[in-house]
Order: sequence, then C-alpha cells, then structure tokens
Amino acid sequence: MFIAILRVIVRRLLAIVPVFAVVTVLVFGALRILPVDPAQMSLPPSATIEQVEAKREAMGLNRPIWTQYSMWAQAAITGDLGESAQYRTSTAAVVLDRLPATIELVICALIFAVCVGMTGGLLIFAVRGTALESVGLVVTSAVMALPDFLLALLFILLLGVLIPIFPVNGRLDPGMQVPSYTGFLLIDAVLTGDFRVIVSAFEHIALPVMALGLAFSPTIVRVLHASLINTYQQSYIQQARLRGLSDREILFGQALKNAIVPVVILVGTQFGGLFGGTLLVEMIFSFPGLGNLMVKAMQTADLSVIMAISLIYCATTLIFNSIADALAYLLNPRLRNG
Amino acid sequence: MTEHDILRIKSLEISLMTGHNILNGIDLTIRAGRIHGVIGESGAGKSMIGSAIADTLPQGLEISRGAIEFDGLTLTDMNARTRRDLLGRDIGFIPQEPMSALNPSLTIGHQVCHHLARIGLRTAKTRQERAVELFTEVGLDRPWDLLQSYPHQLSGGMLQRVLIAMAFASNPRLVIADEPTTALDVTIQKKVVELIARTRAAHNTAVLFITHDLQLAADVCDDVSVLYAGRIVETGAAERIIHAPMHPYSRCLNLATPNLSGPKAQLMILPGTMPGPVDRMQMPGCEFALRCPLAEDQCHSTRPALDGVGTEHKSACHWPERTGLITAVEAPTGTAAGRLGEKLVLRATGLGKAYRQHDWLGRVREVHALRGLDFDVREGEFVGIVGESGSGKSSLTKLIVGLEDVSTGVLELVGLDRATAPRADFFDKVQLVFQDPQSALNPRRKIGRLVTQALEGRGGAYSAATRAELVKTLLAKVMLPPEVADRFPDQLSGGQKQRVNIARALCSNPQLLIADEIVSGLDVSVQAQILELLSALRKEAAFSLLLVSHDLAVVRHVCDRTLVMCKGEIVEQGPVEEVFGNPQHPYTRDLVAAAQGPTVSSI
Repeated sequence: MFIAILRVIVRRLLAIVPVFAVVTVLVFGALRILPVDPAQMSLPPSATIEQVEAKREAMGLNRPIWTQYSMWAQAAITGDLGESAQYRTSTAAVVLDRLPATIELVICALIFAVCVGMTGGLLIFAVRGTALESVGLVVTSAVMALPDFLLALLFILLLGVLIPIFPVNGRLDPGMQVPSYTGFLLIDAVLTGDFRVIVSAFEHIALPVMALGLAFSPTIVRVLHASLINTYQQSYIQQARLRGLSDREILFGQALKNAIVPVVILVGTQFGGLFGGTLLVEMIFSFPGLGNLMVKAMQTADLSVIMAISLIYCATTLIFNSIADALAYLLNPRLRNG
Repeated sequence: MTEHDILRIKSLEISLMTGHNILNGIDLTIRAGRIHGVIGESGAGKSMIGSAIADTLPQGLEISRGAIEFDGLTLTDMNARTRRDLLGRDIGFIPQEPMSALNPSLTIGHQVCHHLARIGLRTAKTRQERAVELFTEVGLDRPWDLLQSYPHQLSGGMLQRVLIAMAFASNPRLVIADEPTTALDVTIQKKVVELIARTRAAHNTAVLFITHDLQLAADVCDDVSVLYAGRIVETGAAERIIHAPMHPYSRCLNLATPNLSGPKAQLMILPGTMPGPVDRMQMPGCEFALRCPLAEDQCHSTRPALDGVGTEHKSACHWPERTGLITAVEAPTGTAAGRLGEKLVLRATGLGKAYRQHDWLGRVREVHALRGLDFDVREGEFVGIVGESGSGKSSLTKLIVGLEDVSTGVLELVGLDRATAPRADFFDKVQLVFQDPQSALNPRRKIGRLVTQALEGRGGAYSAATRAELVKTLLAKVMLPPEVADRFPDQLSGGQKQRVNIARALCSNPQLLIADEIVSGLDVSVQAQILELLSALRKEAAFSLLLVSHDLAVVRHVCDRTLVMCKGEIVEQGPVEEVFGNPQHPYTRDLVAAAQGPTVSSI
C-alpha cells in the first residue's frame, strides 16, 4: 500500500525529467536569439575588442548553438550554471543565495491563501441561500479582479503609509542582524530566540505575503464553495442527515474530505502562478528574492541567471503539479485501491 | 408484542410557497411490528411523507396543516434539535440508492462505528464488535474485513445490507424505507426485502415502505396506502388492495403491470398524466376522474371522501363497488409468431468480447465481458435479453450497434459481417433506443429536428417538405400529436420523451431495433403505454427488436423469445413461455423465483 503510493510519486517525478529537458532547450534557444552579447556583458565596459573576442571564444559562443547547449547541459549537470555577468561570480551561488527568501515568501503566501480561501469558502457556504452569500461572492469576484501587484500597492498605501502598521521594504529593521544557520531568515530569526528580531522578521514579510496570498485566495474560495455545494447534493450527505448528524458533523466529518480534492488540485496546478507572482511583488517591496534578481538580470541581460531562474520556476511548477496529483490519489480511495 | 401505534399522521398537508398542495389530508397509522406500504407513481408525493417525518423537506416546501405523531410525541411541535436527536436513534432510514448513500472517502467501519458512537456505544472496541455482530445479523460475510473496506469495493446489495444494519442498529421504533430495492438486481431485491421483513420482526419495528412496485408491496407489506396526486385514494390490508382493489386507480395500476404468469392480457393504458400541484387546484372533483374509465359527472364535480368499504379498508371513490368492472383486454394470441420472416437479421456464432483493463499502476489484465455467444434473431422477431448487472447485456448491445469491436467469433447483421463490412452500412439498419429518455434527447433541439436526426448524415437529399412530412408520419407512428414537433424535450413528459426516442430510432426504417432498458426508469402506467406502443408498432412495421431488460415480466409481455445471460454467457434461450414457465438452468430458476416475488415469513 505505502510502497504503491511511493511508486506513483516516484513515477510522476520521473515523468518530469523529459519535460524539464525540453524546457531547458526552449529557454536556452530563446535566450540565444536575444540581440545581446553575453561575452560583452560579462566584461567591464572598458574591455577591448580583443578581450571580448577571447572571452567569446572561451565561452564557446562562436560554436554552433547545439554545441553550446550541450556544453551548458554538461556543466549544468555537475552543478555549474555558468558565471553571472552582473555579479561576476558563479550563477549557482547567486541564485541559491536568493532562493530561500523566495521560498519563504511563497510558502507563507500559500499558507495565507489557503487559510483565507478555506475560511472564506466555508463562511460563504455556511450562509448559502441568504443575501450574505451573494455579498460574499461579489467581494470574492472583486478581489479576484485585482492582480497581486495592485494589491501590493494598495497594501503599501493602506497599511504602510496611511496606517503605518507594517514596514514596506527590506527583511529586517535597520541595524538588526541574524546569523545564518539555515539560510531561511524566518527560521533563523526564530532560532535566535530574540523576540524583537522574530517580530521584525515577520512584520517585514507580512505585506508581500498578504498581497501575494490574497490575490490567490479568491480562486480557492470559489472552488471550495462550488465543490461543497456539489458535495451536498450527494445522497450520502442526505443519508448522514437522516442518521441525525448535526450540520457541523456533516460539514467537517463527511463533506469536507470529499470537497477538498478540487482545492488540492487547484493549489497544486496554480502554484506556479504564485511563484511567478513573486516577480512583481518582490520588486515592489524590494524583497531580496529570486523575483527581484530576475528583474535585475533581465535589465542587465545576465543570461545565465535568467536561465537558472526560469528553470527553477519551471521545476517548481512541475513538482507541485506532481505533488497535487499524488495527493489527489491519496484522498480518493477509489483511485488508491480500485 | 405490543400493538400500539408508532406513527400516526393526521390530515397532513404539505404545500409549496405558492400555496399549491403537494400532499393533501394524509392520514396514516402504523402499529409496532407492521410494515405499511405507500404506493404511488412519481409525482404522487410519496417521498414527501418520509421527508416530512425526518424534517428534511426540500426548500420551498412546508407542512401547512396537520400533525405527525411518533410514539406519543408530536413531531410537528418539537424544535429542530430534538427532532434531529430522534433520527438514527428512534427513526431509521433505508435509502433508495445504496451505492451513493455512503461516503466514498471513508471506510465502512468508520461510518458504521461513528453511527454506533452516536447511539451511545462508548469504546472503540465495543463499537467494532457490535458492528461485526450487526454485519453478521444481516448476512454479510467476513465482517471484520468489511470494516476496512471502502464503499466502492462493495456491491449494491452488500451496501444495502450495511445500510439496513445501520438503520436497525439502535433498535429504532420506526424505519422508513424509501424505494430500498429499486436500484438493485432482482435476485438481490428479493433478499433485501426478506432481510427488512425479518429484521423488523426481530426488533418489533414499524416500517414505512415507500415504493412504486405493486408486486413488491403485495409481498412485503401488511397494509398499503395508494397515493395519487397527493391524496390517499385507497388504504387497507395489502392482500386486498392488490388482489381485490376497491378504487379504480389501484385496479388500473394492477392491470398496467405486466405479469410473469397467467394469461397474457393487454396492459391497461391510462390516458393523460397525473395532474401536477397547480392543476389539482382547479379540480373540484376526484383528481383521478379525468383518467378513470368509470368516471361520471359527479366525479368531476364532487370529491369523494376516503370512506370505509370493509374492515380497515377505505377507498376514496363514489362507486368503489364498480371497480371490478374494469377488466383487461385479452391479448390477441398467435398473430405475431406467424408473421416471422425466414431471413435472419442477426446471427452470432461464438461471439466474444474482451476488454483490456489498466489499473492505476499500469498493470494490464483481460476481462472477458462476453464469451461464446450463439444466437440469432429472425426478421420481425422480438427477442428479450434478461440478466443482472454485470451479465454483459450492455456489452452485447454495444457490439451490435458498433460502439465496440468484436474480439472473437462472428457477428452477422442484416446479412453483413460486422467485423469486415464498413460501419456506415449498418447505421440505417440497426438503431438503438436509449434507456434514459431525458439525457438521450438534445435539450436544445426541437422534437421535429430530433426525430429526423438520422437523415443529417445522409447529405442534402431530403427537402424541408419531405422532412416535415416524415416528422408527421413518425410522430403518428408513436401516437404523438403532430404539434409536438415544435416543442423542446423539456416540455414533454417522461413517457412522451421515450416515444420521441423510439420515433427517432424508427426514422431510417431499421431492420433491427435495440432497446436497452427503455422502460426501467418509467412509472408503471407510462411503462404500459410504451410496451403497448411496441406491440402496436410490431403489427405494422417490419422490424426485429432486441429488448434488454432486467424485468422478466416486461420481456414476457413483449417478446417471442428470450436469452438469459449470466456472467457474459447465454445460459438459456428459447420461447418466453417455455423459459420462464419451465426454467432449466439454475440461474434462470433463481431469476424467475425472484421475479415471482419474495416469500416473506412473518413471525
């Protein structure tokens, strides 16, 4: 049983590999078509033409594109993603340095979105048939119409400027230092045990998380609400009622486990969107994560960094899709032991 | 055994928000240990009685008058919470569709034990032991394994046993069974009904048995109330109501039901349909008067009261004693068999079908849906296929119409080999009538365009005028008025939709018509209309019919010969009277015994 589930998960993850390989080809090709010269970008502006030529030769840019790709791929497998033109250091190091911040942001936003979405969905469902349900659905649509970056700006205006509860940029109050144990600032802050530091770390991440999470939550509200309504039309719900179960027991004991499946699949498939949303939100809050790095890399045509980040986005989307699939299996006994 | 009343419903009235009544002045009493049947066709309001007792009426409906007393308590005066506390403890329910009545994502054990916890079993161990005890009582094998199973791993009959065990777990004083066997196979039906009867005897429980099936009610129930258009038209001992009814409606229902034994008679056809809640408001007289073969002027102007016509037997008719005057028309005998053509429309030799199944881990296994079928259908012959779910009836129809390919053997249709001849050659000659008239008709098309749908693949050879002419002929064939052509399917009743369905299949003048359970979703009176229509069509049209049905009586009524299928094989075939009158194969014997009605031993 357990081994069978594990096999499904492993098989799903293996299926990612060819997709991922195709994506690398596409991204690599697209970046080589761009009218920028990586060799020139990786040297100071004062470099001579000879120096640029030498660099180009060293980087293999004079060879055919498929040779370039195979060179890149061979290096990438050993963990060498090239050198960042902008920072003049290893791309892998630059990207890995920023990755934890974005992971923190996305995970927090996801938790926030699921909490808000589930609560909203349950509340709107609880008042079904009344005028409040329509009000709830209209509010949901309104929030759904607002993109994350607009929400970010609204939050800065409301909670950062008009009623300054939360700081609007950076990750910690000025002057604070957190030793890096895990690389994840929130965890490190908690590890220091210093209450002021912990509060500060959470305050700084609050606005980006809310902006990103709130933008994602209306979809969850809608899907959960619709799924609950659908579940309640099933005859086992009616039968549970005829056995004398209370509304609460029916909702949490009977209906929710079935109604949650579409939400799990939604979160899994839309997670990539959440990850992509960090691009603008991090920019707005000057949050030192991948999104910010990506924007800067685009401005400076730092191809190896763009490549690395694109692949991280792609990998996350694929992995979360697979996790959602596996979870849907776990939640559905008909699939699990059919 | 105490003899006091468990359930007493007094002049109950349920109405829509608009003031139209769904139920009117229902009086009903059930004593402890008795089974009281409520018989009615869809729309009569029979399920509303159960909902009213459970306080689960659909939105927009309310009890506008009357009272429901349960063992001395007036339910209608109690608050929602106390009423809910009675459910599952003192009032149990057995649902219509066992397959969907248990939560698919929780184990059987979880659901049963949760229910046992609610009715007061404290520890997990006692709950499990009690669950196993209950499972054994309802005749389920390997009860310990069942606790770990999920609903989808059990058959409908097993699930219904689990639900019966749950309903009786708390020794309730009343159990409400709403069409508990409709979704089950005949042989299972019999066992389930026996189980309900036995368990109620063991627990001395009163049972409210809601059904549309007259035969079933006659076999299970002690008393019966017949419901028509929201009123009880006749009530009394089950035996009397079924065999010596004193209300024309009960009599007509009886005559509209095909029998498995006795002389073949033409089925009683009731004109029109049951009036809906809105129409009833405009009827000062008896609601049945419009369809009643005995109705006189007085019936249309004054409503008869439900008066006694014998010991504990009441009928709402002005002339209950005339009921016996309604008689069935003898079926003309021997006409059909003589008109059989010599040519074979269908011939199957060693026909087989295997499916390759992949489970979710990608393992492949072969499932033999059909094995070595040998049979033929002659020109103009009506052949029935009977068998239970999983017997391969549907696979066979799919093979014949060409939705699936033949795996082994030869299937010759209208002189062509199914496997080699191009599919298009068959389309005009073999047509299918679907089971569910509702979903088989595109709701956005008018009836006129639906019945001639078969012409659409034939190019522009038909002008609008010929097409309109064809529509008229087809509708006349299935006895629908020509103005129906301009309506949408939603504007027709279930029986009318099924007629349209048949008309559509007849459009291309097929040589073979396949009817897959075409009456199983219909009420008795509508079923009678469709069956008689088939018999009538047979006299004029020269097509053969393959009628797939789980109902042996239906097959006996319409067909000349029958095939009995079991687990993908034909276990017996021959003329209907021979096969059903003197079944040879043990499986056929089981089927016939089950269809003749369960033998319920009342203790």
